[in-house]
Amino acid sequence: MECRVLSIQSHVVRGYVGNKSASFPLQREGEDDDDDVLKRAGHPSLRAVITETEAPHMFVESYTLVVPIQQVTLQKTRAALSGAYRRPSKVLGFEVDSINSVQFSNHTGYSHWKGQVLTADELHVLYEGIKLNNVHQYDYVLTGYTRDTSFLEMVVDIVQELKRANPNLVYVCDPVLGDHGSMYVPQNLYPVYKNKVVPVADIITPNQFEAELLTGKNITSQKDAVEVMDLLHAMGPDTVVITSSDLPPRLGDRFLVSLGSQRHVRPDGSRTTQRVRIEVPKVDAVFVGTGDLFAAMLLAWTHHHPNDLKTACEKTFSVMHHVIKRTISYAHELAGPGRRPSPPQLELRMVQSKADIEDPAI
Amino acid sequence: MECRVLSIQSHVVRGYVGNKSATFPLQVLGFEVDSINSVQFSNHTGYAHWKGQVLTAEELNVLYEGIKLNKVTQYDYILTGYSRDTSFLEVVVDIIQELKKANPSLVYVCDPVMGDQGAMYVPENLLPVYKKKVVPLSDILTPNQFEAELLTGRKINTEDDAVKVMDLLHEMGPDTVVLTSTDLPSKQGDQFLVALGSQKIRKPDGTSTNQRICLDIPKVDAVFVGTGDLFAAMLLAWTHHHPNDLKTACEKTVSVMHHVIKRTITYAVETAGPGIKPSPAQLELRMVQSKADIENPSIVVKANVLDKSLDQKQ
Repeated sequence: MECRVLSIQSHVVRGYVGNKSASFPLQREGEDDDDDVLKRAGHPSLRAVITETEAPHMFVESYTLVVPIQQVTLQKTRAALSGAYRRPSKVLGFEVDSINSVQFSNHTGYSHWKGQVLTADELHVLYEGIKLNNVHQYDYVLTGYTRDTSFLEMVVDIVQELKRANPNLVYVCDPVLGDHGSMYVPQNLYPVYKNKVVPVADIITPNQFEAELLTGKNITSQKDAVEVMDLLHAMGPDTVVITSSDLPPRLGDRFLVSLGSQRHVRPDGSRTTQRVRIEVPKVDAVFVGTGDLFAAMLLAWTHHHPNDLKTACEKTFSVMHHVIKRTISYAHELAGPGRRPSPPQLELRMVQSKADIEDPAI
Repeated sequence: MECRVLSIQSHVVRGYVGNKSATFPLQVLGFEVDSINSVQFSNHTGYAHWKGQVLTAEELNVLYEGIKLNKVTQYDYILTGYSRDTSFLEVVVDIIQELKKANPSLVYVCDPVMGDQGAMYVPENLLPVYKKKVVPLSDILTPNQFEAELLTGRKINTEDDAVKVMDLLHEMGPDTVVLTSTDLPSKQGDQFLVALGSQKIRKPDGTSTNQRICLDIPKVDAVFVGTGDLFAAMLLAWTHHHPNDLKTACEKTVSVMHHVIKRTITYAVETAGPGIKPSPAQLELRMVQSKADIENPSIVVKANVLDKSLDQKQ
């Protein structure tokens, strides 16, 4: 089955952030169906290829909240459509159309970076080209880091048009605003995300800071996190993953806690919400591009498991873990003993991790 | 395998030409690909409409400056293709010269895109730049017959002519030349086209031998865009794995092309419906679907080695 993604993100000549981080894993992503993956996973010769490192010690629990019919008010038709159960589909690699919002030599964590940005007008011109050829049927839209409000507003217009062309379109949005208590984009992006972007999103991947910003509510407990995710559901997206939080992990301080929530409307009209808590091993380094890879992989794995956020998250976090482990090993090797690896050395080992991306050993 | 390629080619939002055509297959084969997008268009220019922006020579220089300032200029390969602008091409030449100084073993794979079937489809003033500056720097060259004739000023009517033209091209610079398509008659009949290759292998004692090969490639009744870009990228990959064996490198490259093209035409005809000519959108290369063939191409075209009696002293 043909699955086409429009990804509007940065391009860097060297390294893996934005579209560089998202495209290859999505294009590479391919599994025929769940049965095949299980068969392949059980194949003795394949086992050796898939796992060189031990599987991450992940703690995943999920519970499903079921709301009886009488208490449900179906808010909007869109919610009903996107929340309805979808049959998992056969995919042989995603087709990725990519609009590069910038072209830089490398990401901005290096000592130097140079390049050019795409204006909102130029974005519109590219989209016009796609429309004129009548090839604007997309199954997914994926966006990430943006610095410009007019650009972001043009993205919203495009998403709205594309949703009219295909009402089943799923918009995966990483609402990149900041981290650890401070914003690292211009402040005037915040109202655009809140009032325009998040309402048209179907899947969002905020970190704790971004989730708090968007909802105006602080997270100090799991209960808070669940309430914040419900507030985010009410704003638009049926799937929310808080990619990282400061909540205390049960597995100890070498782990961090992520949470997810997915709302479904069953055929009989009742609503269920699946909540997921994941604890992932921390790694002692600063990586760039991991959020972009995460959103892309969440797109892929929720596509394969549209009604099972637990499995989608397990696979997504597994991919992340394998890529990160491979990257940090290589970086340390390059830097030498006792030395801190540099940004070029810490570039994600994307091409080398392709076996993990295709079939993550959980 | 840590092998880093700098590819300076077009980017299209939708479809597979330029960097879109080259990057995915090279990444699949484990190459690190740094890509400078010389343009960003909605799609290739064979569609009814296309829109987008071009990178200026100055902007190209700025991007390269960024790479240089971070001291990450070590490349094993450079790959270039379709260009429309002489000043852009001249900055590309400057960049390659600098990168070769940083790594003298760097291999420059160049597709000297100028035209086909007797006509140029780039501005005429690119020819002298290719002839005098680009080709002399290149290590692997993938011209079609028309481009080879243009660069050498010599026509190809027979296999002998083709060999002489490839030798002239060797003298201009590249040790590896592949004539990607010619009008020469194939011994297998008119459903085939003839491609030829020549590789100068330099021995330690200063002499050199030429391996010359010829391939008969099944024709396909359709116009594809981006196949030349895929070809150059795959030739890069397979000559990397078979540096002294042009025969094997070409067999794998041509075989990959064949698998991708077959898959593409099947899909296009299916999508268009019976009796209807597929559109450019439908004829986009089925790249992601061909992942397995890219990784491990089954050989479907064999190369013949031509008369080897032409060992030359340096």
